[in-house]
Amino acid sequence: METPTPPSPKPSMVANLLGWLDHRTGYKFLVHEALNEPIPGGARWRYITGSMLTFAFAVQVITGFFLWTAYSPSTQTAWESVYYIQHVMTLGWLVRGIHHFAAQAMMVLLGLHFLQVVWDGAYRAPREVNFWLGLVLMLIVIALSLTGYLLPWDQKGYYATKVATNIAGASPEIGPQIQQIAQGGSAYGHLTLTRFFALHAGLLPALLVAFLGLHVYVFRRHGITVPPAAEGKPADTFWPKQVLFDAVGCLVTLAIVLYFAYSREAELTAPADPGEDFPARPEWYFLFLFRFIEFEAISQYGVAFGAIYIPTVLMILVFLMPFIGRTRIGHQFNRLFMVVMLVGMAGLTVMTIVEDNHNESHQAKLRFAERDAHRVVALAKREGIPPNGARALLVSDPFSQGPRLFRRHCSSCHRFDGHDGTGQKILKTVEADGKKTQVPEPETAADLKDFGTREWITRVLTDYDKTFQPLENAGEAGKKLLTGDMSAWCKENQKVLADAANAESLNSLVEFLAAQSGRTDTRPFDETLVAAGKEIFKSGMLKSGSFNSSCADCHAMQVGDAESLSDGGGAPTLTGYASRKWLKAFLRDPGHADFYGEKNTMMVFDEKRLSETDLNLLVNWMVGDYYRPGKAEH
Amino acid sequence: MADSLPETPPPSPGTVESPGAVAPRRGFLSLLAVIAGSIAGLVPLAAGTIFFLDPILRKRQEVGGGMLQAVNVSDLPTDGTPLRVTLKSDIPDAWTTYRDRVIGSVYLRLMPNGQVLAFNDTCTHLGCKVDYQPAEKRYFCPCHQSAFGLDGARQNKTPPRDLDSLDVEIKDGVIWVKYVNFRTVQAKKEPV
Repeated sequence: METPTPPSPKPSMVANLLGWLDHRTGYKFLVHEALNEPIPGGARWRYITGSMLTFAFAVQVITGFFLWTAYSPSTQTAWESVYYIQHVMTLGWLVRGIHHFAAQAMMVLLGLHFLQVVWDGAYRAPREVNFWLGLVLMLIVIALSLTGYLLPWDQKGYYATKVATNIAGASPEIGPQIQQIAQGGSAYGHLTLTRFFALHAGLLPALLVAFLGLHVYVFRRHGITVPPAAEGKPADTFWPKQVLFDAVGCLVTLAIVLYFAYSREAELTAPADPGEDFPARPEWYFLFLFRFIEFEAISQYGVAFGAIYIPTVLMILVFLMPFIGRTRIGHQFNRLFMVVMLVGMAGLTVMTIVEDNHNESHQAKLRFAERDAHRVVALAKREGIPPNGARALLVSDPFSQGPRLFRRHCSSCHRFDGHDGTGQKILKTVEADGKKTQVPEPETAADLKDFGTREWITRVLTDYDKTFQPLENAGEAGKKLLTGDMSAWCKENQKVLADAANAESLNSLVEFLAAQSGRTDTRPFDETLVAAGKEIFKSGMLKSGSFNSSCADCHAMQVGDAESLSDGGGAPTLTGYASRKWLKAFLRDPGHADFYGEKNTMMVFDEKRLSETDLNLLVNWMVGDYYRPGKAEH
Repeated sequence: MADSLPETPPPSPGTVESPGAVAPRRGFLSLLAVIAGSIAGLVPLAAGTIFFLDPILRKRQEVGGGMLQAVNVSDLPTDGTPLRVTLKSDIPDAWTTYRDRVIGSVYLRLMPNGQVLAFNDTCTHLGCKVDYQPAEKRYFCPCHQSAFGLDGARQNKTPPRDLDSLDVEIKDGVIWVKYVNFRTVQAKKEPV
């Protein structure tokens, strides 16, 4: 950009060229018009929000174009291509990060710009039309952020946008039709993405450019609204002081966006899965609306009331501001109305965040969702994404599916580290003194967090009753196990096991039993200890003293193909204890003579209850047989 | 206030401030404005441009990079007749990985000394697939009559070079081939 310079006596070649160009295009007049707009009262920092908004939009156009070059809108490629942008392509994380956070910056700047316009009464005659043009621009930006949110086709975008389209579906009369048109059908699918993408990258930006052009044109026509404090001060032109102020504002915007893009990274949750719930929340700037329609006083009148009628009425009031504000008292009303609205929105937003932070169940769901998000990226990096999409990676992954299968099939009796496998506490509602409260549902079987590991085996040997204490809640059948042979053995041998001289012996026995699992995820088994443990298992002889009966007296144990230590005597076989094979056989038929036999109280998981695929996923997870990325990747 | 603003055309720049007195300051402000504006605009543009240049900036996974399993040595005719064998590999295409897809075919020939000779069956002339003709004991290209001997040496001037031989390894009776495609037309054997 150059300011028009007065003709010098000897025009240089550049000046000649520019003169030639100006003669043909008249550009100098345009530049003059653009840069020499007078600013009565002088350039001011408070005038920069409009330029910052325009700048943020330009950043969106630039980064949006580049994202477009790698994005593929379909249910099997949207998440996948965004993953590729974010985690594989050069600077993809940065381009997406800028786009992601500049969108949020636009929302903040919109709020500021609006606040300023209303506070200063800049909507009044003759600027009413420009005020309305600004409101149209605001609606377009909201539509842009709404359509953009869905495009990564991740769990968060999918479920949050579903809420939005369901709200559209609640519109009076033509709601269902609007929803179907937006979605491209009665359900979310390929066409939802192609339509949202066409709106997001095509129509909406074009509309925004058109309205922005009108907005700036009308703004230039009437000039800046000068605050009282600046009246009478010397005027500036737009160039260079105000341009500098604007440019600094843009730089600050960019710096903040870059800071977030670098330190937080744009989120990409797990691929959208209609069968998997998600603790959905809209993006933070829509949280107030989310919370608003949750109030019972609002929700009792239906979704349309809180999410459509009331916002529409408020929006109409905003559109009428230029008329309401004609009188002094009207302007004060507008200011008050805006402040109340903004405070209300901020209050609701804070309220939602605080409530969510204190909602343990919600937090547990978020953590579990985050676990999925990390996992699918680790899997995609390791083995690539199959043609049918990245969701398949999670579906066939024990680490992802194990906890879910545990929740569905095991958590009615067992716990996993105190929760249901997915991190969720299992609660029940009790009524006391007419007040309903949530209390933990007592488990009726052992906590299986470290089942089969050294820690587990040590606990079973040294304190059987405590390990299986939850069986007390399981009625008569459970008590039977707690008063059985193993419980008695444990009590009788507790003293000899606790003897410090036998620490090494206990270690050896634990090592031998833990080695049965063949686990590779715990530290490698010590062959010397295993060999010593084998002898103890067979003979019951410890370094100092001996068991009153050896393990082999009751438990069957076959080591390798040839060596049989014991054929057992009524207690569960410990051959390959807690290995994949053992656990699968046990789950399929815990009442088999090799396991609990007639004493069994455990549920039988036959093919009808648990498919072979699910059984493998569950068991592989429990025995730690799944891909583990290096620490750096996770 | 706003209402009182005159709706007059903008005054010419000279009337706003006396140009002589403020010229240096104005020049400095202009410079700052240009610098700040340029940085703000160029950063996203530069990030996007680098992102767009990803295809030449990032080292890509090679398709079928390592040795690919072909057939057993015992599958080859013992009289030295070449056998055409297709090779399979995982094919990455941006974010998608296609498992176990055919990526090309080669001719394998068992030599009297037990070694195996492998040729990429793509004609070095213009990339058609050559066929082995048992009667003439030669590889022949149906497109422009390129012909190659059993050892891959060209028999006429149509192709720019001999057939492209490939590295072969034999492990436990199984033949492994390193599959590479080469540039056609030129005399130099150069991977694509």
